[in-house]
Amino acid sequence: MSTSAGTASDHVVIRSRGERVALRLPVRALVAVGVLAVLLLAVIGVSLTVGSYGIELETVITTLTGTTVSDAIDNVVWQFRFPRTLAAALVGAMMALSGGALQNVTRNGLADPSLVGISQGAALAVVFAIVAAPGLDYSWRPIIAFSGALAVATLVQALSYQRRRGNNAIRFILLGIGVSAFISSITSALLTYGDIDRAISALSWLAGSINAASWTDVQILFVWCVVLSPLVLGLTRIMSVLRMGEDTAVGLGAPVKWVRYALICVGVGFAAAATAIVGPLGFVGLLAPHAARRIARSGVGLHTVLTALCGALLVALADLVGRAAFAPIQIPAGLITAIIGVPVFVYLLQRAAAKSHL
Amino acid sequence: MSAAAHEPQARMHFAAFSGVPVLLGITVLLFALHIAVGAKPLPLGTVLEAIFARDATVFDHMIIWDLRLPRALIALAVGASLAVSGALMQGVTRNPLADPGILGLMAGASFAVVVTAFFFGTAPLVFLPWIAAAGALVAALVVYFIALWAPGGATPLTLTLSGAAITAFLSAIISIAHLLNEDSFENLRVWLSGSLAGRDIEMLYITGPWIAVGLLVAFSLARQVTALAMGDDVAKGLGVKTGWLKAQLLITVVVLTACAVALAGPMGFVGLVIPHVVRLFVGSDYRWIVPYSAILGAAYLLGVDIIARIAIAPREISTGIITAMVGAPVFIHLVRMRAR
Repeated sequence: MSTSAGTASDHVVIRSRGERVALRLPVRALVAVGVLAVLLLAVIGVSLTVGSYGIELETVITTLTGTTVSDAIDNVVWQFRFPRTLAAALVGAMMALSGGALQNVTRNGLADPSLVGISQGAALAVVFAIVAAPGLDYSWRPIIAFSGALAVATLVQALSYQRRRGNNAIRFILLGIGVSAFISSITSALLTYGDIDRAISALSWLAGSINAASWTDVQILFVWCVVLSPLVLGLTRIMSVLRMGEDTAVGLGAPVKWVRYALICVGVGFAAAATAIVGPLGFVGLLAPHAARRIARSGVGLHTVLTALCGALLVALADLVGRAAFAPIQIPAGLITAIIGVPVFVYLLQRAAAKSHL
Repeated sequence: MSAAAHEPQARMHFAAFSGVPVLLGITVLLFALHIAVGAKPLPLGTVLEAIFARDATVFDHMIIWDLRLPRALIALAVGASLAVSGALMQGVTRNPLADPGILGLMAGASFAVVVTAFFFGTAPLVFLPWIAAAGALVAALVVYFIALWAPGGATPLTLTLSGAAITAFLSAIISIAHLLNEDSFENLRVWLSGSLAGRDIEMLYITGPWIAVGLLVAFSLARQVTALAMGDDVAKGLGVKTGWLKAQLLITVVVLTACAVALAGPMGFVGLVIPHVVRLFVGSDYRWIVPYSAILGAAYLLGVDIIARIAIAPREISTGIITAMVGAPVFIHLVRMRAR
């Protein structure tokens, strides 16, 4: 493997295996990845120290390296804060990647899993499972959520498709709004109908709260991440062709139809798994891809990495703020992301990002 | 103009007039049914007896006068106000998707009420409609200007999107306020889900006159709304002062919406569905659309509330949930058919 300075000074070119693999990466984006990663670590570090039981950062680090300082600290860090923070970061990355994938498929800068009803579909499926079959094993939740979310995604796609005019970006969003209103009303009705105790547990979950994340949650999220992330990275090459428009992509020999299906499934999968664990988190999928694009111009591959990092950072930060701002009352991260997300949505609307950004 | 040209119009008028007694009859029937149905079903005879020959010592009469009649009256008032505001909004903005819920007015009204409760405790009931009205007005203006500044201007699409955005934003803040102050918000929580259960008749006394005024103003402006719905230029050509008319209509819509929200909480999609149904029968003349919307809206909400009370008895579903369940598919249909 050899690394040589690129022709242009703002790119690094990595060549390997006798030039069979060559990557030309913009320096700025690489730096951004580094900075975001450091920031993410910093936020994770801070959120491990902050809480009703304050712990010094050094003590946290000692505890994480395996030395037991005291049983109480060990317990707080390992059983409560660390899984919660990890879950927040993972969920953020997943929602961000989901949004990115959906924006690519629909060629619509306003697409977001919670805006087009996908999160609500997942939520309805899970609430239905909670009410109808309370004994069901927890690890089934993501799969139930996935089927609900996929059904809604298919429905919205089918509704927004018109033979004469093809897919229309804004109509897709509007239909999503209608479908999510409908699904939310069914969810609320189910909650009224169902047993009060179970309804209440479902209600706190519906606000998008990471309060109760455990190691089981982190495991489930991690498994889904490991399965889906390579798919996204594998699709990035074709996604960059798709950016040039569908006709061009077809002309260049990309299997556009299959890529669309694959991207929708991946986007839905990410959103469904994240929703199954922490409930619907609004606007992360909208924010992260745009933030990533603003931070540094890059190819689709690096952009995907940046998107995931932005999402992770955003939700980790939202969870930290929600936990610390009004302590001891905890504000679900989903509410914080909505408050940050809406102004950005309005801004994007102003910039006609809705028309066609990608 | 020849007599022949008048004829179709006259026939239209006759058809439109003849619908009124039918619809009123249905409304009265639903009203009586609404009172009769419930945890303790009462025969219609008892209902009529209680209303026309009240006997304060009979237990059934007490149920009717203290619980069921207020609720039925509130459903009537809320349904009529929301349907008329929806109709006016659709006419002014020439937007088939306009509705006080979709365009953020309800979220604004709820937000104002919640924020007031958060900072000042429960305000006296008398002020509630006005607080709600202020919130609805601000939200309406914000949504309108966000849409106006978007490329392409205030189209149905941009209006709906900015309405959805503002609603999401305000609901998030409402949820936070709720979390921060759980005890005092227990009352508001039921109210926020759009429910007619256990509403205070006191509020109907306060808002009733304003709803009546709002409806009368709406009826009297309906003629000009028809002109406005054909386009600003057409309306100006017909001698309508469009700016002044729009201001009057905005205030009417805001007052009607605020009174409805103060009475029953945010109840989505009523203002969207009813005017569209009415239009199927009476065409595009707002002199007919507005009064019909009022009657049909009242009948609709009575009917929905009956379903809400008996569907999963002995518990009940929030009425707002059912209006959303009915309204969202209509919204989807309208997006598919009309919006480009």
